[in-house]
Amino acid sequence: MKRVSLGEFEEIVLLTVMLLEGNAYGVTILHQIIEQTGRSVRLNQVHASLQRLEDKGMIKSKMSAPTHERGGRRKRLFTITFYGQKTLEEIQSVRANLWGMISGLRNS
Amino acid sequence: MEDNHTPQPPAWAKKLLRLYCDPRFLEEVEGDLEEEFLYQCKKSSVSKARWDYCRTVLGFIKPFAKRKKSNLVSPMLSNHFKISFRQLMKNKTFSFINIFGLTLGFLCFILLSLYIHDELSFDLFHKDSSRIYRVLQHEKMDDGAMRHVATTAALVGPEAAAQFPEIESSLRISSIGRLTMGNDPANRGYEVITITDPNIFSFFDFPLLAGDPKTALVPPDVVVVSESLARKYFGTTDVLGKRIWTSVVRNDKPVEFTIAGVMKDFPKNSFLQFDVIFSDSSWPSMFPWYQDLISSDWVSNSYLTFLKLRDPVTQQAVEPRITQLVKDHYPATRAFKSEFTLQPLADIHLNSANIQDSDAAPNGMNSFYLYMFAGIGFLLLLIACLNYMNLSTAAALKRTREIGTRKTLGAQRVQLITQFITDSVVLSAIALVLALVILQIIFPAVNQFTDKELALTSLPLSWAAGILSVLFIAALLAALYPAFITARMTPAEALKKEIRVGNSRLPLRKMLVVAQFTISIIMISSTLVIYEQLDYLRNKDIGIETENLVVIDINSGRLRRNFESIKAEFGSPAEVISVSTSTRVPGEWKSFPVATVRPQGEPTGKEMIYVGIDNDFLATYDIKLKEGRNFNTGPADSTKVILTELAVKQLGLTNPVGQIVEIPVVRWGGSIEPLENVFRAEVVGVVEDFHFESLRTDMKPIIFVAPNTPVQRIDYYTLNVKTNNWPGVIEKLQAINNKIDPENPLEYTFLDNRFEGFYKADAQRGQIFLAFSLVVVLIACMGLFALVSFAVETRVKEIGIRKVLGASVNNIVGMISKEFLILIIIAGVLAVPVAYLFMQQWLQDFAYRISPGAGVFILAGLIIGLIAAITIGLRTVKAAAVNPVKSLRSE
Repeated sequence: MKRVSLGEFEEIVLLTVMLLEGNAYGVTILHQIIEQTGRSVRLNQVHASLQRLEDKGMIKSKMSAPTHERGGRRKRLFTITFYGQKTLEEIQSVRANLWGMISGLRNS
Repeated sequence: MEDNHTPQPPAWAKKLLRLYCDPRFLEEVEGDLEEEFLYQCKKSSVSKARWDYCRTVLGFIKPFAKRKKSNLVSPMLSNHFKISFRQLMKNKTFSFINIFGLTLGFLCFILLSLYIHDELSFDLFHKDSSRIYRVLQHEKMDDGAMRHVATTAALVGPEAAAQFPEIESSLRISSIGRLTMGNDPANRGYEVITITDPNIFSFFDFPLLAGDPKTALVPPDVVVVSESLARKYFGTTDVLGKRIWTSVVRNDKPVEFTIAGVMKDFPKNSFLQFDVIFSDSSWPSMFPWYQDLISSDWVSNSYLTFLKLRDPVTQQAVEPRITQLVKDHYPATRAFKSEFTLQPLADIHLNSANIQDSDAAPNGMNSFYLYMFAGIGFLLLLIACLNYMNLSTAAALKRTREIGTRKTLGAQRVQLITQFITDSVVLSAIALVLALVILQIIFPAVNQFTDKELALTSLPLSWAAGILSVLFIAALLAALYPAFITARMTPAEALKKEIRVGNSRLPLRKMLVVAQFTISIIMISSTLVIYEQLDYLRNKDIGIETENLVVIDINSGRLRRNFESIKAEFGSPAEVISVSTSTRVPGEWKSFPVATVRPQGEPTGKEMIYVGIDNDFLATYDIKLKEGRNFNTGPADSTKVILTELAVKQLGLTNPVGQIVEIPVVRWGGSIEPLENVFRAEVVGVVEDFHFESLRTDMKPIIFVAPNTPVQRIDYYTLNVKTNNWPGVIEKLQAINNKIDPENPLEYTFLDNRFEGFYKADAQRGQIFLAFSLVVVLIACMGLFALVSFAVETRVKEIGIRKVLGASVNNIVGMISKEFLILIIIAGVLAVPVAYLFMQQWLQDFAYRISPGAGVFILAGLIIGLIAAITIGLRTVKAAAVNPVKSLRSE
């Protein structure tokens, strides 16, 4: 399997997309990240990250139906791909393994 | 649902976003931005929301501006740029020389443009400048000569404005000497008494920071002062309504003037420069003659008179009417021989050389120098571009492989030419940026040196555009020659590297070198002539002692009364060898009286400088008595005179001592005053000639009278001082002055400094010339160096073979150097006549001048020759010393 590196911020964005399943777009992702991490993040950073993730095939997107909000402009809604989920799980398991080994060392 | 009450993000940010954002993403991005904006508005504040919006929009530029990139820059063009930069990096010496040369050329060109623009912009900041004229009087003298005066009688302006509907308004400005000013006796200074009509601030555009421009100068006993004067005497510019002490006396009491306005300091490019303006109405009560002057004067030359016409077209029509007006009012007892003309305000600064009382261009600036500076600017640019042309042609011949390959792969001529033009654009852009950066760094020094306020921002758009186009057109033209040479080659030629640097291609490039060095030699020899002339002016024996003489200016009645006892006071310190008093001193910068002198009974006379001196004057100034005797002390000599030898000669006197001369008229600057009774006096002595004025003018004859004649008052003490401790002596003199007159500070100058001051502007121009000459030589030599390098590099093999066959290093150096040195010699031959003519023109300014001999030009040629030889030698010796094994081994 091709190894794709995932930046720390990208990982957070990816996780947030998964969390917000169905309602993940720029502003909601931004607010969720600010709420969860307390970082000062800007919309352009989120968008840049989303674009990279889409390029890497970790998320896919479709345009929503227009609403009265936002001057009738549509939103781009993101969902995580299977490949994205796999990557996250892989990262998770690598880390879990490492942590397990660390705690094993400490306990012994 | 947008309505006017919902807060809106900044419109410009929205526009910006639409400008760059990829349209595929625009909708969602805009939507997200707006949603977040409204959210922030609610959560924190509208201003924070706007701030965030802008920052985010700017942040979006990076990942989302994808749209136009590929359309804007064609792949070929970006390849051109890439190649240009690679070439720059590849030949570092060559690139450095090229960029450095162009930078210097651009820098000097921009600097000179700024300087010329400043000179041309004098007085144009007044919004009515095109309608303002100065009245000039042209009077025919007894001896047939014309004299041109910038001042007129008091009534000319106001009456002309009242009678002729073409004239919108008039303004008079006069200076009636100086006074002491300042409330704090320890901080007083001398200021010129400038009096103007009250409408000066509406006539000209000199803005007031405080005070009413319409009425400030209407009441008596008020002044309007400049910011810097206010700071000088009050330490603040907030001085409106304050009173200031002056040495002007009314009813035996010093008059205090009320400050009715504070002016912004006059721009440096105004020919009028005042720090303090007095209201016209103050003076009649102090000087009775002033009332006479302003109410009935049609004769004197006391006022600079300005007229504002409703329409400039009427200038020609108004001039004869003014002449007629004055003629009608001229006193019947005097002959009217004048004509009046109007000089446009914009002309005053540069075209007032022969006009008396003009006040303009104290630095002797005139259009000759302006053309000269413009010439230098273009020459420098030319040299820098020739350099570029020469170097890139040489470089092009090294790049034949690249060109051949391009051609083989189907490159069109246009594409090859584009490559060269790209090279030149890249280089010129780098050079321009560097030049501008350097310019910003050196501005303070330049402004201090030229006493100007030069700045890039003072250039109007048209000038800036003009300068930029000249620079880029020059750079482009320089790029065209190498471009066409290479474009002409056939691919086979190019790939085989058959283009030879040795002979066939050189004629034009040789001519370029010749041109550069011709200009260099012209500049260097001109600089040498200028310096030689300055040296001559400084060291020429002017007939009097100027060193160690301290001149004390008399500015108050206290210092003037009882001058015999004051002389004794000033003579009391041990360092003071002698003290003399006089009405005027050599090196005089104020106007001095010129008397018409004639032998008794003759109808016409000669003009002579008219000076009152005491019996110590000749000794103090080391002037030798040739015949007769000096003045005696005491009043007995009040009808005796002493003449210089030149005066005796001009009067045609033999055995002058004992003869009687007559003085019917005395002229002060532009003002002619016939004496009520012809002054008759006996010649008692003759002294050797000396120069009273700068060496720009011919030596004038001088007639000395005793100091106690009623015609003029003494105005100076001159002290001959011998000391090593100048500050100590000056302190003593100040103490003596304070004892005699506690109210007015001591004002002194050194006589040699005064004479030096006459040539200050020339010395400055000498330095400017020197600086530019060095730049020219530097650029030319760098060019030469690079050129020799290329010649040597292409002949490495030849040099190797020659060495193998037994040539010595000297042979080889000689062989290569000869080619280039011949060019320098040709340049010298071309340069000398041009430089000679040019310098002859410049020397016309001086009555006393050197005649530049062959020596100067030989020296200039030798200097350049030497510099060129070193430049060539440095490169060729290195090449000649290389072991032939090295140069021949590689193939």
